Amino acid sequence: MSSVMKTTRDVKGIGLSIPRPDAPEKVTGVVQYVADLSPRGLLHAKLLRSPHAHARILKIDVSKARALPGVRAVLTAADIPELKRKAPTRAHAVLAIDRVVFAGQPVAAVAADEPAIAEEALDLIDVQYEVLAVSADPLEAMKPGAPPVADAGTEADTSEAQAHGSVAGVTTEAKPAKAVNISQQARLQRGDVAKALAESDVVIEKTYRVPMVHQGYLEPHAVLAQWDTAGNLTLWASTQGSFNTRSEVADVLEISENRIKVIPMECGGGFGGKIRALCEPITAILARATARPVRYVMTRREELEAGMPAPQVIIRLKTGVKRDGTLMAIEGEAILESGAFSGAVLAVSGVFLASLYRWPNFDVKGFEVLTHKPSIAAYRAPVAPQTIFAIDSQMEQIARAIGADPVEFRLRHLQREGDKMANGQPWLSNGAVEVLTRIAEHPLWKKRAEWKASSKDGRLRGTGLSLGGWLGGLQPTGATVRLNPDGTLQVLTGQVDIAGTNIALAQIAATAYGVDIDKVKITTGDTDVAPMTGLSAGSKTTYTVGVAVMQAAQNARNQTLEIAAKELEASVHDLEIDDGKVVVRGVPNKGVTLAQIGKKGNLYMSKVEPVLGVSHPAFSVQAPAFCAQLAKIEIDPDTGELTLHDFVVVQDVGKAINPLQIEGQMQGGAVQSLGMALTEALMYDDKGRLMNPSLLDYRKLTAADLPNIETIIVEKPAPHGPFGARGVGEPPIVPAPAAIANAVEDATGVRLTVLPLSPERIALAIANGK
Amino acid sequence: MAKHVLNCTVNDEPTEVLVQPWDTLLDALRERMGLTGPKEGCGTGDCGACTVHFDGKPIASCLLLAMQARGHTVRTIEGLGKPGALHPLQEAFVKHGVPQCGFCIPGVLMAAAALLTENPRPTEEEIRYGIAGNLCRCTGYTKMLAAITETAGAAAGRRS
Repeated sequence: MSSVMKTTRDVKGIGLSIPRPDAPEKVTGVVQYVADLSPRGLLHAKLLRSPHAHARILKIDVSKARALPGVRAVLTAADIPELKRKAPTRAHAVLAIDRVVFAGQPVAAVAADEPAIAEEALDLIDVQYEVLAVSADPLEAMKPGAPPVADAGTEADTSEAQAHGSVAGVTTEAKPAKAVNISQQARLQRGDVAKALAESDVVIEKTYRVPMVHQGYLEPHAVLAQWDTAGNLTLWASTQGSFNTRSEVADVLEISENRIKVIPMECGGGFGGKIRALCEPITAILARATARPVRYVMTRREELEAGMPAPQVIIRLKTGVKRDGTLMAIEGEAILESGAFSGAVLAVSGVFLASLYRWPNFDVKGFEVLTHKPSIAAYRAPVAPQTIFAIDSQMEQIARAIGADPVEFRLRHLQREGDKMANGQPWLSNGAVEVLTRIAEHPLWKKRAEWKASSKDGRLRGTGLSLGGWLGGLQPTGATVRLNPDGTLQVLTGQVDIAGTNIALAQIAATAYGVDIDKVKITTGDTDVAPMTGLSAGSKTTYTVGVAVMQAAQNARNQTLEIAAKELEASVHDLEIDDGKVVVRGVPNKGVTLAQIGKKGNLYMSKVEPVLGVSHPAFSVQAPAFCAQLAKIEIDPDTGELTLHDFVVVQDVGKAINPLQIEGQMQGGAVQSLGMALTEALMYDDKGRLMNPSLLDYRKLTAADLPNIETIIVEKPAPHGPFGARGVGEPPIVPAPAAIANAVEDATGVRLTVLPLSPERIALAIANGK
Repeated sequence: MAKHVLNCTVNDEPTEVLVQPWDTLLDALRERMGLTGPKEGCGTGDCGACTVHFDGKPIASCLLLAMQARGHTVRTIEGLGKPGALHPLQEAFVKHGVPQCGFCIPGVLMAAAALLTENPRPTEEEIRYGIAGNLCRCTGYTKMLAAITETAGAAAGRRS
């Protein structure tokens, strides 16, 4: 680690802004992703996908495809005995059996010597469909009599909802409702909303809409599968959770988990989209059918048409306040369009709508609705940016309506630690007040009136801010820390590093044990060798795995000190580790080196136990993390073009383990949601077909669209976090859409409620004066 | 269909490989020459992850047929610098903590290197447009700008 400048004796780990150890491999193209692997005998997989969003499969003829030279397998559902007609999850719907429920659903699979041969084989497969009526719009799909998506009797998959529901502490009801496409419902209620609204002076009712968006990771889904002769499966995967991938594939293939080894390769971005299994089962089945290694890499078109995007979210809010700003009531309805399979997160939305602010009366309903579109998955703080877009836009409009300062109004009503959330749980220690207070001190906020007044040449200038956050995830995990014979440390977890977390974990180990960071190596092991661990998701890697690594390092330190105590004939309490040595405090020349202790743990005939620190904790206390963002913008009212001049991110990280990596998370998260705010939407026609399946038409923000993103780190320690750290990954994606919409209203006087805030939407709203 | 012989110069080495007539330059680099640094993020020229230098100019290697490279000079990320002997841009990307998932990075670096060859002292706007053909989903581009700006400034300092 060349850039660690050892200038003082207190280098250690925590708080250092240092690059990831794998950065040199990443800038030289050496680091390997799944698609870079080409084992001997490799075959290439391709999937034939339905062009129809809803159709009955009448007949599939694969005879011509099978006859093509170079084709090694052509499979349909009829060839796969494990497939169930009623697939409980998207992963189980490996190939469609007799009905397709979204455009892009796989109906046949090919493995061939070359990708081009596999593609040619797809063209030779003849599928006869009977096209059926489509539920393409969630509001229509909710109505009785809408074309049904799920097979009758299919149980809703609430595993995702329960995972995140327990994040929010809300019980989600999965019982089928009257309308056939409503797959989950939830309701949070307190007080008498109708009465409180009637007694309010200012009632605002608005409906906010955020379309389906794609996580946008640059590396498409990819997997390589190979079976050995004993029937064991190895998967080289691009995944956010190798143990989860193993469980899901084992379940679909009906084999035991210890017969599957998942090797997590470098993950070229996940953002929630690489949690659930997608193409792993079919690739494993093709590898089994051919007894060859098979690689499947999705095309970008397949990613956009048949990935697992974020749900469309439609939120209607009706709020009432007194003229003096007293909150009276909020009534809300959140509709999450889940696509063809259930799996949306209702609970997070409900908790933020009803209880981010102190509403004495609330009634918030959530509906998950199935449509004939690709099923959705998590996307970095699932549903939080969409929810905060609604509630923060609403708070801003209320403040404007009663003439209150927007920051003071939010601060006055913001729930504090100990206040009850809508689910009855208390808000835990968090930095919401701190980040909002900090951003209000920013010169760009203080000078917002001057910026607005400086509008010239007909262009309109404005500033907006927003507050949002994430409740924080939890999952059991484990880590080991070994002392090597040369006195260096070896940290092992099973945690996939999708966000620079490995360097942070190494820093935690360094400080907890008492060596410098350049003496620590961290490895993400595969599912055969690593301690079991959870997903790299929920902003919980540093928060939970950090604790496991910290405890394992402390455990290793204690073992080291006990060995040293015997060697030095001293009490453990009088020992300290300094500069690679265990020394007796106050007697610097009496010591034993870590290398000496490490060597004795690996010496023939030695009676010294090798140092192996272990920790495998489970957790019960979340760490909510908040972020405030500010946008300074300029709008051309004729074209609706919006120029973003400045963007500021203030985030509470508890304790900044590695500020350099944290800044990167804050900047990247902000820009993802600026894309959601300004340009991104998966656009479907009324037949449920995607109209923009390329990165030319699904427009992500480029370097030319953006200013530098300013970052300000706030540290309010999380009581149970490692050295006080909280999760960092998700909070920065939450506030931006509301901050932009608030800035647009500041500049133009019009309020936009439908994302993205495209030039045409802005120009039309200005022209219509609303 | 018979394979074709492709002769070209890749990373300063005269190279001869067999390619399919439908192989793109990216296919040929990745699958026939084992140069997997250039990435396929879209295959349609929209993301920039496959950017290489073609006779010194940055191109999307997924949009060129491999045989069109016959007699030409190609440089990939593998020819920009190596671990232990990094190009100044690569050094700066490491130091500024640019890479997160890393998938876009080879393309961004090739675009940035071409920019600095053509325009050694670019303005911020010129850098932004210089890498506007390269999508990155992790970084928000801010640290990339800092790294490229610093490299350009350092190079200018060495010359003056």
